Amino acid sequence: MLGAARIGRSAASKAAKNLAGPSFVRSLSTTQLVAQKHSGVDRTQSTAFIRKEGAAEKKLRSGTSTSVSLDNANPEYYSEAPDISAKPLNAHSAKENAINHFVQFSKGFMESIGQNHYPGYLGSDFRLFGKPALLYRKITQTLVDRLAGYTEEGPKQASVIDGRAGAGKSAELMKLAAVAAASGHIVIYAHSTIPWVDSSQPYAPVLNSNMFSQHELTTQLLHSVLAMCEDALTQVPLGKDIVLGKKQLNATKSLADLVEFGLQTPSLSQDALDFLLDIASTQTKVPVLVAVDDVNTLWCNTAYRDQEDLVLPANRLRLLCSFLPFFDSKKTLTKGWVIGATSYLRSQFMSKDLRSKLHPKAQVPIANRELAKDPNIIKPQTRLPFEVIKLDRMSTNETWALMNFYREANVVTCPITDAFVAKKWIAANGNPREMFKSVTSYF
Amino acid sequence: MLHLLGVNLPDQKIVSVALTYFYGIGPLTSRKVCSRLSIHQQCKLGELTEAQLNQLSGVLSEMTIENDLKRQIAANVQHLRQIGTYVGKRHAMGLPVHGQRTRNNCKTAKKLNGRWLRQYSTGPAFGVFNAPVSKRL
Repeated sequence: MLGAARIGRSAASKAAKNLAGPSFVRSLSTTQLVAQKHSGVDRTQSTAFIRKEGAAEKKLRSGTSTSVSLDNANPEYYSEAPDISAKPLNAHSAKENAINHFVQFSKGFMESIGQNHYPGYLGSDFRLFGKPALLYRKITQTLVDRLAGYTEEGPKQASVIDGRAGAGKSAELMKLAAVAAASGHIVIYAHSTIPWVDSSQPYAPVLNSNMFSQHELTTQLLHSVLAMCEDALTQVPLGKDIVLGKKQLNATKSLADLVEFGLQTPSLSQDALDFLLDIASTQTKVPVLVAVDDVNTLWCNTAYRDQEDLVLPANRLRLLCSFLPFFDSKKTLTKGWVIGATSYLRSQFMSKDLRSKLHPKAQVPIANRELAKDPNIIKPQTRLPFEVIKLDRMSTNETWALMNFYREANVVTCPITDAFVAKKWIAANGNPREMFKSVTSYF
Repeated sequence: MLHLLGVNLPDQKIVSVALTYFYGIGPLTSRKVCSRLSIHQQCKLGELTEAQLNQLSGVLSEMTIENDLKRQIAANVQHLRQIGTYVGKRHAMGLPVHGQRTRNNCKTAKKLNGRWLRQYSTGPAFGVFNAPVSKRL
């Protein structure tokens, strides 16, 4: 039937050829040509393609579209999500007495990130618990203390949280960003950079350059920054006249005005982000936190391709290039901290070079002492341009707190005992994600 | 539904998959076309703007696809037959062309190989008989 439809079309195109003459555009259908002949050429519509409207759209099957009435549901199996108590996470609650307790993110912070953009598995966890709550660990307090220490002068190197998959790197970064936002910092929090490199968002080449820009992603990031710390941004003036496209922003305008302009003009959003990072890194009025999750994407080969169909490395995407100098020690913050977290969820975006530097193989010491002292010996390069903060296993107290929380949230139905906690800790080797899987799996 | 260069393409399909609906475009060529136009891998046809669709149409118009390609292949096979090559004779007989065995197992060749000469022949290219030899046996 399709063959017949195609034959029919080619016959129609032959007829159309006779009607329109030698200047016939191959893609025009007979109906269009006849209409043009009678009513004049319509130059407001493209003739290269036709959108067929009114055709019945195919409904995609979805398992979630079925609705179940819970009126006669068995109360033992179907119960409402319990209301779990959790302290709100802010500058006042982020103290040592909050360790081993669950803390809840504010509504404003969650809205600034966006509902479907939580890092890693945290989105499904929050839905299960009924609220966005995470455990406040000892490492969290360490990071908060360091953040407070960098409010006067920033460190010379960026920091990167590294650890096994499921150790809680993204969670720690999220808590730190929430505390910083509540403390009045300027927070530039990229909660997930995997969509920046996995070719799921539009990209476009930059004129007269071999770089590519991603306007939609940049606009999303600017929107998140403005929603998270608008008050802090209004406190910092631009300090110099900035020309963006055809518009000029005076030196008296604030960073908030710059971000808003970037949001209104998506094509200039990348330039606005570059200026924002420039000014925020050199000003001394308000401390800054630049937090990048999945930081390994800054050095990976992306899933994008250039016009010659060659794989694009990350340093040819302007959005990633905005953050790369901070982690390559080429740029520092005068007042604030640059921190990232690695991710092993998508191994294609973890370069072998970075992986070997983060987890170097054990080196055999050279037996000959004189040879070992020779500076010309080539040794595997493990030096990194940033500081690595290793995230280790959970402690037993933290595991207790976690299991008690799962009990309150009805994820675990049996009573929490020493033996139960020890069993879960040993089976998971102290990994929070493995512990969660062990309590939620059937076997 | 998008009608592009004589082919109906469903809007909800990913562009690189939808382009393979054209005769003469496979996954590799489709990917190259998308790279040339800076269309990301997860882009669906319905998300393309008019300007992008015009560019896509322009790029596809430069390529030999659909009927043009079929005509070219038929002409190549006819040429091989006309100059009397071994390959041409095998096409005419509807038998395997690349040296495969014919004692058994040449079902696909017998079904498909004669089609370029059968479809586009304007006269009795093999003399009186039009059907391939394998069909008459």
